[in-house]
Amino acid sequence: MTKPKISSDWMAGCSGCHMSLLDIDERLLEIAELADIRATPITDLKEPDESGVDVGILEGGVNNSSNEEVAHRMRARSKILVAFGDCAVFGGVPALRNMCGTQEALQRAYVDIESNEANSKIPSDPELATMSNVRALHEVVDVDLHVPGCPPDPDVIYYVLKELAEGRMPEMKDENLHWH
Amino acid sequence: MINLTINGKQIEVEEGTTVLNAARQNDIKIPTLCDHPNLTPYGGCRLCVVEVKGMRVPIASCTLPASNGMVIETETDSLKKSRSTILSLLFSERNHFCPFCQVSGGDCELQNSAYDEHMTHWPMQPQWTNFPVDTSHTRFILDNNRCILCRRCIRACAEMSGNFTLGVEERGSATIVVADSNVPLGESTCVSCGSCVQVCPTGALIDRSSAYLGHDKQMTVTRSVCRGCSLGCGIMVHTRDNRIVKITGDYENRNAGTLCETGRYKTLDEKRVRLTTPMKRVAGQLTATTWEDALTTLAQNLTPNKNKVAALASTRLTVESMAAFKSLFADGLGNDVVTSIEEGRPTALQAKYAEANGEAIEGKLDTLRTSDCVLLIGADLSETHEVASFYIKRNMPKGTRLIVVDPSENGMDDLANLNLKPKAGTDEAVFAALEAAIIKEGLARTEAKSSKTALKNALKICELAEEDVIDVAHMLAEAVAPVIVYGKGISAFGNDAVMDAMVRVAKLTGASDSERRGLLSVKGEANSLAAAQLKMDVPFDVKNRKVAYLAVGDDYISKRLLKSLEDVPYLVVQASYESELTDRADLVLPVNIWAEEAGHALNTEGRVQFAEAALTAPEGVRSNLGLLNEVAKLLNVKLNDDWRSALTARTSVVEIEM
Ligand code: SF4
Ligand code: SF4
Ligand code: SF4
Ligand code: SF4
Ligand code: FES
Repeated sequence: MTKPKISSDWMAGCSGCHMSLLDIDERLLEIAELADIRATPITDLKEPDESGVDVGILEGGVNNSSNEEVAHRMRARSKILVAFGDCAVFGGVPALRNMCGTQEALQRAYVDIESNEANSKIPSDPELATMSNVRALHEVVDVDLHVPGCPPDPDVIYYVLKELAEGRMPEMKDENLHWH
Repeated sequence: MINLTINGKQIEVEEGTTVLNAARQNDIKIPTLCDHPNLTPYGGCRLCVVEVKGMRVPIASCTLPASNGMVIETETDSLKKSRSTILSLLFSERNHFCPFCQVSGGDCELQNSAYDEHMTHWPMQPQWTNFPVDTSHTRFILDNNRCILCRRCIRACAEMSGNFTLGVEERGSATIVVADSNVPLGESTCVSCGSCVQVCPTGALIDRSSAYLGHDKQMTVTRSVCRGCSLGCGIMVHTRDNRIVKITGDYENRNAGTLCETGRYKTLDEKRVRLTTPMKRVAGQLTATTWEDALTTLAQNLTPNKNKVAALASTRLTVESMAAFKSLFADGLGNDVVTSIEEGRPTALQAKYAEANGEAIEGKLDTLRTSDCVLLIGADLSETHEVASFYIKRNMPKGTRLIVVDPSENGMDDLANLNLKPKAGTDEAVFAALEAAIIKEGLARTEAKSSKTALKNALKICELAEEDVIDVAHMLAEAVAPVIVYGKGISAFGNDAVMDAMVRVAKLTGASDSERRGLLSVKGEANSLAAAQLKMDVPFDVKNRKVAYLAVGDDYISKRLLKSLEDVPYLVVQASYESELTDRADLVLPVNIWAEEAGHALNTEGRVQFAEAALTAPEGVRSNLGLLNEVAKLLNVKLNDDWRSALTARTSVVEIEM
């Protein structure tokens, strides 16, 4: 039997979910035995195989056109798409800017904030992605599995990865279900 | 009894039981959110819906009375689906990003409900609307963004504290919880009892003092008794790392979880400096010493003066400690000034009356909770025994009438149907006027006569208006369950004649008869009644005494008492905190605070309650009882440890329930 291919990427998150993934420590080796770990933000390969992967994992909410691209690409190339962590599942901390609107958030972050220099500006390079409201992953593409947590607990991550690597769908309930 | 079937299980419940409670009594779990076992069902969240055979749509079980032959299902697929939908809608209404919420991780009933339904995400995203956060209150914060409009807080404010501060404004999804007519909580009529915070299922109401100090599952919860006053409300002490994080009301206790600001919050405001080493006066200076030396010094000073001691104990000590104190200094060493910090002021008068009467004259707090007319005299319950004021206030919308008799301002004046402001010190005349008015109006429930001039004469003394007194006479005598509540104003400043007059009025109005005792005194601190029963109710007279021994524990001492100690040759203080009293002492013996020792308390209505120890005492500190035992041993006194008999040796003003 060929090992399932797993790939991951991140969007509007803080990378904490991937840090928590590394936190499964030596169990990472066990997962690497069971599965073929492909592109991830912490490996050399940066994009999931064009030929597709079995499991695609996405951290972070969708906050601009670039994230949208990442989300669509991972969806298109994965059999099972996992929303990994509260930002991907709910929108998380970044989504709180939806409460005031993107423009006000940018104004505060780039211009008004006390530590900024005088005449700071909101970046407006046409190369930059277009900002949007922060959305949960499932608002943009279909999601097969939600793994909430801010970040998800290493034990939960290990459980999820192991189940997926062994071809089962993890059951997100009881001690594996945490929204914080 | 009613028979019904839930999920195929035949069950039997009492008539009037809701379907939800029927299920609960039989360990069938129906998810709920707006329901709270101690509050009137509201039926607002619809999470508890069940399918009833023969009914077209699912029905909320928390408001549905069980009826005979009902067949109920609680776990069908369609119910599970509707629960998920209800939860999705709740999450979509406000900001429920859990990671930075105080209650997330175990203490949130909303989050827990979602977990129970295995909800991994929100099918509907939030509507991104900001709701007001009210941080104006000194004790807690109201964050409407976390609110699910279950209205538990509103019901608690009304049904537990009788304060009716909370309500809602706006409609539909824009609805918010507000205080009074939408004023900041800190400027509202709120009395800071914290009941609303205790019942809130989410992070919408959180205590400032305990926020982010841990979740319930990380804390040890100990059942105890509030020492704030003689009502002895049941409390749960939540501790973590040997520190009190919060205090909540004990729903199982007879006060059913209701506390006042003192019980819930003020206890945690403690700022005094803790004593941890014994100290003795050496060359005019208080100097730290060992326990061994402290006790030897004590023995040296007490042995030649055994029966020249004036002894005083706090009524916040346990009954066991108070009884040991009495046994040591009065029975053992033969002193006659062995009293409590209250010196009998809130209790001695009625204790004497009861003794002469040969039986109890006062009733239980339940009488107050069900009374339809209360005459309050000589007490400002809102200041001193606040939960008792809640018992009255919460019944007022049901028509309970309140008459406040107080020459000065009283915190309950505004609520009263009638305020009587007699001339100070004329309580006997007030009762005489009432008595005469009752008889004159033909309202007396017992045979009674009164002279023609009695009313006029009494009114002249107390300076009340005749029509007011007649109104009160009618209110009291025409009530089904009138109650007279009296406080220190009577017991400390009245005399036998006032007691007699009050009891006569109680009988004439039917407040006291063969069936019920509608007379209650609120007394003083936690173990006020115990002090009375132990006859520790005499003035603290230190004249000609060689030694004063004060076991004040964690109590405060009045300036007056402090002053009276100026001429005492040798002053021993058994205390937990540094104070002006310990500054003046010749020997300081550090002891536990209330939360560090187990023991009993006897509340104002004669209920003996056990308080467990919630904290471990700092090193070097003795328990109050342990220390008294050591002192007794040093002085070769055998202590009587049968405190139960000691409490009942004397007729009590209220029946003591062991
Ligand atoms: S109230 Fe409950 S559900 Fe809402 S944010 Fe807080 S923990 Fe989460
Ligand atoms: S603290 Fe007590 S009085 Fe104040 S709003 Fe809450 S329940 Fe009402
Ligand atoms: S503040 Fe809490 S108790 Fe009050 S309605 Fe909102 S969620 Fe319910
Ligand atoms: S009424 Fe008295 S016993 Fe009850 S909580 Fe308040 S202070 Fe404590
Ligand atoms: S618990 Fe029954 S409707 Fe809320």
